[in-house]
Amino acid sequence: MSLEPIVFWALAVVLLASALAVVLTRNLFHSVLYLALALTATAGVFLSLDAEFLAAIQLLLYAGGVVTIVVFAIVVTERLVGDRITQTSRQLAAGFGIAGALLVAILAIFRRSPLTVPRPAVSGDLTRAIGQSVLTTYVLPFELLAVLFLAALVGALYFARPDD
Amino acid sequence: MTLQAYLTLAAMLFCIGLFGVMTRRNTIGILLGIELMLNAVNINLVAFARFLGDVSGMVFTVFTICITVAEVALGLALVILIYRIRRTAVADHLDLLKG
Amino acid sequence: MAASGNFALWAWLAPAVSFLLLSLIVPLRRSGKPAAWLSIVISAGALSAAVSAWRSAVPDMARRILWEWIPVEDGVLTSVGVLADADSTLMLILVALVSFLVQLYSLGYLSDEPPASLGRYYAYQSLFAFSMMGLVLAPNFVQLFICWELVGLCSYLLIGYWYTRPEAARAAVKAFWVTKAGDVGFLIGIVMLWSRTGTFDFSELFEMAQGGSEALTGLGLVMFCIYLGAAGKSAQFPFHVWLPDAMEGPTPVSALIHAATMVTAGVYLLFRTAFLFEQAPEVLAAVGWIGAFTALLAATLACVQRDIKRVLAYSTVSQLGYMMAAIGAGFAGAGFLHLLTHGVFKALLFLAAGAVIHAVGTNDIFAMGGLARRMPQTFTVFLIGTLSLAGIPFFAGFFSKEEILGATWEGGLTVPFAMLVVAAFLTAFYMFRVVFIAFLGAPAGSAASAGHGSAHGSHAPGHAHDAPAIMTLALWVLALLALVIGVGFAFSHPEAEFAAPGWLTPLAVGVAVGGIALATVVYALGWISSEWLFRRFALVGEAAMERFWLDDLFALVYRSGILGVARIVGWVDRYIVDGVLNVLSAWTLTLGDRLRRIQSGQAQDYVYGIALGVLLLMVWMRWPR
Repeated sequence: MSLEPIVFWALAVVLLASALAVVLTRNLFHSVLYLALALTATAGVFLSLDAEFLAAIQLLLYAGGVVTIVVFAIVVTERLVGDRITQTSRQLAAGFGIAGALLVAILAIFRRSPLTVPRPAVSGDLTRAIGQSVLTTYVLPFELLAVLFLAALVGALYFARPDD
Repeated sequence: MTLQAYLTLAAMLFCIGLFGVMTRRNTIGILLGIELMLNAVNINLVAFARFLGDVSGMVFTVFTICITVAEVALGLALVILIYRIRRTAVADHLDLLKG
Repeated sequence: MAASGNFALWAWLAPAVSFLLLSLIVPLRRSGKPAAWLSIVISAGALSAAVSAWRSAVPDMARRILWEWIPVEDGVLTSVGVLADADSTLMLILVALVSFLVQLYSLGYLSDEPPASLGRYYAYQSLFAFSMMGLVLAPNFVQLFICWELVGLCSYLLIGYWYTRPEAARAAVKAFWVTKAGDVGFLIGIVMLWSRTGTFDFSELFEMAQGGSEALTGLGLVMFCIYLGAAGKSAQFPFHVWLPDAMEGPTPVSALIHAATMVTAGVYLLFRTAFLFEQAPEVLAAVGWIGAFTALLAATLACVQRDIKRVLAYSTVSQLGYMMAAIGAGFAGAGFLHLLTHGVFKALLFLAAGAVIHAVGTNDIFAMGGLARRMPQTFTVFLIGTLSLAGIPFFAGFFSKEEILGATWEGGLTVPFAMLVVAAFLTAFYMFRVVFIAFLGAPAGSAASAGHGSAHGSHAPGHAHDAPAIMTLALWVLALLALVIGVGFAFSHPEAEFAAPGWLTPLAVGVAVGGIALATVVYALGWISSEWLFRRFALVGEAAMERFWLDDLFALVYRSGILGVARIVGWVDRYIVDGVLNVLSAWTLTLGDRLRRIQSGQAQDYVYGIALGVLLLMVWMRWPR
């Protein structure tokens, strides 16, 4: 009995459960915490796919940065004390219907063409490969990404300025 | 595990995220749903990259993570601004586009 | 012989010149008397041209002058021009003569009219003369039909000359409508004939008839349609209803149009195209029967009329029936002869009646009386006309009437013959009824107020006098012409196309004398009261008083029929056509309203839309094929 399926199933269960919790919890703050859990589980999935670098990035940026930002936003827009953080959901049935239908459609596509490619062996250091790829083949998007960050920074500064 | 398992996982995560986007009342709740959807896409990319031996998928994932971060930051900034003006973060109240 | 055509052309175009001048040069028309004299002089010129045309015409040969009008690929579709032969020039003389005399007479009759109206009257008269001559000289069906319609228009204009009177306006419209019904049939007949034979031209058709052309077989329906036009214009039953009402127009108009010329156009048409009608003997039989019936019906109606003009109108209808009966019997020449003689003495009678009306101020014969003493000239000419109409020997109508009776007998139409004989009896009776009531006997009590028709010169019977010279001139010319024709025929008459039975002349004369005798007994001597006579024939008399309910029938058909159809069409238009449009527009509005609600302004609803779209796309792409 190999370890890998067990790990995969465990991660899958945690991920999906926490995702459901994100979208169904009434308390917004709890939602955010469940999101952190889901992001971490995703990092675990990355690890099981031998993408260590991505797992690290995921934890750093997503589970760390994004969650923090969201928490700040909640603090600013809602009152933490009291039951003001609750949020109700609307039109659950319709949403469930469409999302479910979409899932069924996607799974049906998978059924039609089952992808049973076996996992190939790891060829060399993936991190190194990613790094090399970023700075050679994909150097242009890389630079543009920097521009994007600059724009985001400027935009955030603009939004954050005090009202005069 | 087979590629199919990972793809199925990603699909389920994606639909859960979509469900969240469609049903949540609070704007920040909607953003959380978007996060889940993006994560599902990332899992998809990485799985394909791993199983097909092409590292481009992972590079793509790096980029998407970065862009997502920027997007979340600014999105939340907008939510805060709207809250300042309209004193509400409930998406249902933001219906100025109503025809 | 070439001159015949030219003279005819000048006679035809002269009134056109007069009409153009009067209609285009407004100050000339508004001047009244000068406009009248212009028209009169030109019509005198037309008369002399017509006489010259007749004198230079050679029997059995026709002179044609044609101008191409509508060219088509191989040849010409139709042309305009004149077809001058012995018959058409003779008719031309009648038209020109009566037109000239009537215009002269009108100058006196309408002397009280404002100058602008007088000018308008003479413009119409010129137009009528032009149209009528164009009809008479027409070489083909197209020109004939165009002129046919033009004379109908002139009739409308002249009946409604005093258009401020509602009765006149209504009568004009009625005349137009009733004749139009016939004209539709006429047009259809012409086109059908053309589609059979490929030509409108009379000469070509005549040659085809002579040669026994194939195209001229089975023409029954076609000729019946053409006959319908004649029936409308010549007031055959049941289209006769417009003629009595047409008496609303001035009396000279009645004399010209509704006695001598326009109403005879139908008879003339049948006479002209007799060679075509011979190809359809069943239609001719119908023509004969309808003609005889019309003669009898109208004679009956004339016996109960109070209005002198209406008596004469019904008399005209009756005589037109005579002419048609002769044609129907197959002897069109007899009908044509009666047309000519009738034109003379009927115009005379109308003009004399006009003189009476002008003097007395009313049309009602019971408001007149004893006019013979006051208006001796008028009485004399009226008596001459009456004797001609009754068919007494040595007067104009005798020979032609006898010819018609003989023609119907020889043609084998015995029942029509009987009807015509009875009608002859009644003709003499009702005409002398008028003579005795209006001219002889005691004058009516007080002066009658304006009865039917015009209120010209309100003299009381006691103050009546003969008309001015300009009117009596026309009267005497016509009276002398009637006498000349009557005496002339007694000694040398045109060759009859048949041999009349020996007992015909005594029968005709006896019937006429009998009618006069009855009238004398009832109205002059008073041995039998008219009420007793009326009660003897109560059923017919009552029906006659109601004009056999024909006018009501027409009104019913028009009102309920046409108005009913109009209402149905209106309903369909309002509820179905408009309804469809309204429903469509309402649906569009509702649809737009519903669609609008998709734009809720909520971003999440748009996400729904996107998700749904993606779903559908996936389903569509991957649907098992």
